[in-house]
Amino acid sequence: MKISYNWLKEYIQTDLIPAEAEEKLTLLGLEVEEVEEIGSDFEGFVVGEVLDVRNHPNADKLVLCDVNTGEETVQIVCGAKNVAAGQKVPVATVGSTLPAPMDDGSYLTIKKAKLRGEKSSGMICSEVELGLGDDHSGIMVMKNNLKPGMPLKEALNAEKDTVFEIGLTPNRPDAACHIGVARDLSAIVDGSLKSPYHSVPEPKRNLDDEISISIKDSDKCHRYVGLIVDNVEVKESPDWLKQRLISIGLRPINNVVDVTNFILQEIGQPLHAFDYNLIGGKKIVVQSFEDDKKFTTLDSIERTVPAGSLFICDGNGPVAIAGVMGGENSEVTEETTKILIESAWFEPSSIRKTSKSLALQTDSSYRFERGIDPTMQLKAARRAAELIAELSGGTIYEGFVDEHPVKYEPKTVPLRVARINHLLGTDLSEDRVVSILNNLEFETEMTGEGALMCTVPPFRPDVTREVDLIEEVGRVFDYNNIPRPDTAPFITPQPLADSEIFHEKMRAMTKSLGYKEISSNSLLSKKEALLLADEKSHVDTLNPVSQENTTLRTHLAGGFMKALHYNLNRNAENLRFFEIGHVFKKSDDSTWIEGVQEHVHLLLGLCGNKKQTDWRGEAESYTIFDLKGDLEAVLNNLGISDRISRKTEGNHKLTYLLEGTRVASLHIAHEKWLKGFDVEKDAFVAEVDLTLLNNLGASRSDITYQPVAKFPTFEFDAAFTVDQTVRAGELTQEIKQTAGKILKDVSVFDVYEGKNLGENKKSIAFRLTFLDSNKTLNIRDVEPVVQKVVQKLEKTFGAKLRS
Amino acid sequence: MIDKINEIKQEIEQFNIDSDESLEAFRLRFLSRKGKVQAMFGLMGDVPNKQKAAVGKAMNEVKNLAQSTFEQAKEELTSAQKKTFGALDDISLPVEPAYTGSFHPLTQALNQIKEIFLRLGFNIADGPELEDDFHNFTALNFPKDHPARDMQDTFFVRKSDDENTDDLVLRTHTSPVQIRLMKEQAPPVRSIMPGRVYRNEAVTAKSYFQFNQVEGLYVDEKVTLGELIETLVMFSKLMYGSDVKYRVRPSFFPFTEPSMEMDIWWENEKGGQWLEILGAGMVDPNVFEAVGVDPEKYTGYAFGMGVDRIAMLRYGIDDIRLLYDNDIRFLQQFES
Repeated sequence: MKISYNWLKEYIQTDLIPAEAEEKLTLLGLEVEEVEEIGSDFEGFVVGEVLDVRNHPNADKLVLCDVNTGEETVQIVCGAKNVAAGQKVPVATVGSTLPAPMDDGSYLTIKKAKLRGEKSSGMICSEVELGLGDDHSGIMVMKNNLKPGMPLKEALNAEKDTVFEIGLTPNRPDAACHIGVARDLSAIVDGSLKSPYHSVPEPKRNLDDEISISIKDSDKCHRYVGLIVDNVEVKESPDWLKQRLISIGLRPINNVVDVTNFILQEIGQPLHAFDYNLIGGKKIVVQSFEDDKKFTTLDSIERTVPAGSLFICDGNGPVAIAGVMGGENSEVTEETTKILIESAWFEPSSIRKTSKSLALQTDSSYRFERGIDPTMQLKAARRAAELIAELSGGTIYEGFVDEHPVKYEPKTVPLRVARINHLLGTDLSEDRVVSILNNLEFETEMTGEGALMCTVPPFRPDVTREVDLIEEVGRVFDYNNIPRPDTAPFITPQPLADSEIFHEKMRAMTKSLGYKEISSNSLLSKKEALLLADEKSHVDTLNPVSQENTTLRTHLAGGFMKALHYNLNRNAENLRFFEIGHVFKKSDDSTWIEGVQEHVHLLLGLCGNKKQTDWRGEAESYTIFDLKGDLEAVLNNLGISDRISRKTEGNHKLTYLLEGTRVASLHIAHEKWLKGFDVEKDAFVAEVDLTLLNNLGASRSDITYQPVAKFPTFEFDAAFTVDQTVRAGELTQEIKQTAGKILKDVSVFDVYEGKNLGENKKSIAFRLTFLDSNKTLNIRDVEPVVQKVVQKLEKTFGAKLRS
Repeated sequence: MIDKINEIKQEIEQFNIDSDESLEAFRLRFLSRKGKVQAMFGLMGDVPNKQKAAVGKAMNEVKNLAQSTFEQAKEELTSAQKKTFGALDDISLPVEPAYTGSFHPLTQALNQIKEIFLRLGFNIADGPELEDDFHNFTALNFPKDHPARDMQDTFFVRKSDDENTDDLVLRTHTSPVQIRLMKEQAPPVRSIMPGRVYRNEAVTAKSYFQFNQVEGLYVDEKVTLGELIETLVMFSKLMYGSDVKYRVRPSFFPFTEPSMEMDIWWENEKGGQWLEILGAGMVDPNVFEAVGVDPEKYTGYAFGMGVDRIAMLRYGIDDIRLLYDNDIRFLQQFES
């Protein structure tokens, strides 16, 4: 919302320079988001009369002019073609500076000069040079009745102004106008508010013969005031009015419409002017309809207005969409001679609904939907009528219509001074509080020791509770003035949540393994989401920002694959990423919201070359075993390796189970994924469910020191021949279970397949490491255990020991 | 005399020792009893007394040089016999720096914020990103027809006209965690709530449909606005330096009353400007009512800030999309 500082100063006497006013308004809660300097005071510029124009003896394109500037007649060299004797023109006298910058951004100061040998004392200006318009075809020619020597500022009715763009918060409808902003400022500066609005005396007669007004939907329209001005001449507004409107970015239209706009910007009361002669049946009915209505607004657009919207109707039907925009059918035009001024109070949510459904926000709807002063209708209509009469030569009809089915009841709110100080941490006296509130036009009455009853002014619908009053006191006092405690006592901190510690531990651990953290979109396209999980587990948004982002991720793998696509397209070679984030699945196993599982996952992913080609040799690509090693390091670091079992699912996936619950998976990215995400290199993905691990107690690492083994380990190698279908993982698991505690570690040191082993056979060589914390082991201790293992593997897997 | 000494010195320096034989030849020529060094000292008698000190010093230097050259060559010959020095043993051969892990700039900014509030005695709480209407709007004092409840502003997962079925939304702020926290735990409560939030916004350099927030909440019997401002000032000083220039000004949020925003002065090439860094206020009594906390007995403050914005300011990132593109050339710049 734009506020002109010159305009504002009509209502409050203040010496504040614009920058000071800007700061004060911002600190009052009317944040000035932008400041624009407009216009000029034209110091040293006067109206000149061209007395004589002669050819320049030394230049074809220049002429010599004798110009009367009031006090003297000077010679000015001029290059404009349209200059002629007898004209009244704007003259920049010697020493003045042009208000508009030149092409290089600097400002020209006029000096006495000789141009091609002829004296020139001043400059006759074009509109462009004065910063008044775009016309640079020649000098500006002014009205002929102006007196030579008159200051240009006066002749043009021009002044320098500062325009503030205020970011109005929704709780401040009162400040959506110049008087409202001036009122706030008046609360903190010396100088009281001057308002041109006065109560209107009861008329001697009414307007019944001229117009009847009825409100059918009084829930949506609490008040409707009508006033009539006759014999108006619709024409261009005077300069002062045009200038006011132009300064805040409005386009002047005619003296009637401009006055209604002026009143809206002055006091915040939207008005509408109808051409009285276009109102059918001499009546106005305020009503809503049960059906959608087609209606052409005064911007000549036919709109479909939804059922329930409030209309202003005449005897024939709608003539305006209440509070939003008038209709083309009753618009004030140059032919108009008699007008009906509407000044009403419409219910905010009704206007908001209509404005929103039409996607049409006007200066009028903006104010109605925030809530305007319910006591201002008649006063505003009267001021408008007076101004219109003055500017158009019209006459105001005696009397008015004031339909007022819902009367305004002033609100009273109790306020305890002690509560103010308790909440703000201040030490304000009762007097101070009363003075602040009174300056904001809240009436106060003492009802006891430190207790006030406050009457809320009608323009503050937002103030309904004690705490709202406390905010008023606080903002005028200025939050920056509130004394701050030297020490701020606070409660004994509690331990951090396990999940917080766990997630940060995992983040640090993964980084230490050399992974770079990524941050990918939570929302995937349907197609992408389908690659990761069945549709039945998808959680979709009803109103996606685009089809690329419809479905919440069920896994982090999608974001990783997209990051691969992005980077491989840009010729990245080595991609080693991790992410921690929320994933979402429809499930009966709800986490927070019924029917939805929302867990935190950790993703680790690899793609490309872990080493580039260099003098040491060829490039080396990542393999699934690089990722597997890192994933196992993570699980090992958590101290849960012993509780984990691994299960292969097909040839591309290994699942990790913690006591029977799937907690992690390791994937070779499937052809389907590579194609779906358009990734042209092998990719490897591991995803760990941190929520599950946390729930299963895996996040709590209670480290207790274990004495380092005093005795040496004993190693035993054994190779087995098995069918190709038997998995090394299964054998390893079986060995561990069979051998028991004495077995400290199992590793595979060789895998071999060859014809000498037989069809579809392979050999896997294990190294078993034994340890006893109480003695040095020898072959006699280990042999029975190895025997047991050999028998078990033979029985379960048909494994044959190779000697 | 000095010329003569220098001549021997030069000879020592230029002598090439590359075998046991040449090592022995070196010893014989310079260090043996009949060697040049010994012979050089023999000439001392001819030196005038005045110059004796200077010449003696120079001779000793040459002697030391001969000895150290011999010892070093001997050692190198011994080790060279163990391993021959090949082309690939050249330690000056270049290698690629090892691939290192890194945290995303959002994580780095968040970590700094967390660290500050942990020092100020706050705990850390979390909650779901998929929320119901009650936690995201109703309990936070959003009126029924508030614009944030529009499809234009908020992502809905379920929207129902049935009053018994709560709408589901992607949370538009981390404030619902305040509601969950206060429902779970009686005051005092002192916690921050970081997390990802969503708004239905087009993706541009300045806006994105997801971003990250940190909110804070402190509820106790005597919490004041003065204390809130003090906390925010402490935060700003720890985050932006103790000489940071700041101001607070009134603002509006449905869930706080009074409400305010904090600006800091940000220097730039045009001089500087006030930049809004956070919103804050005293918990609205209606919010307390919604979670069953007595607003007469307890007061509280809340504040919230955008992590993306803070990270962008901090690192001079001018396009928010960079934070979610995961371009490795971008991520590599944050390996600290």
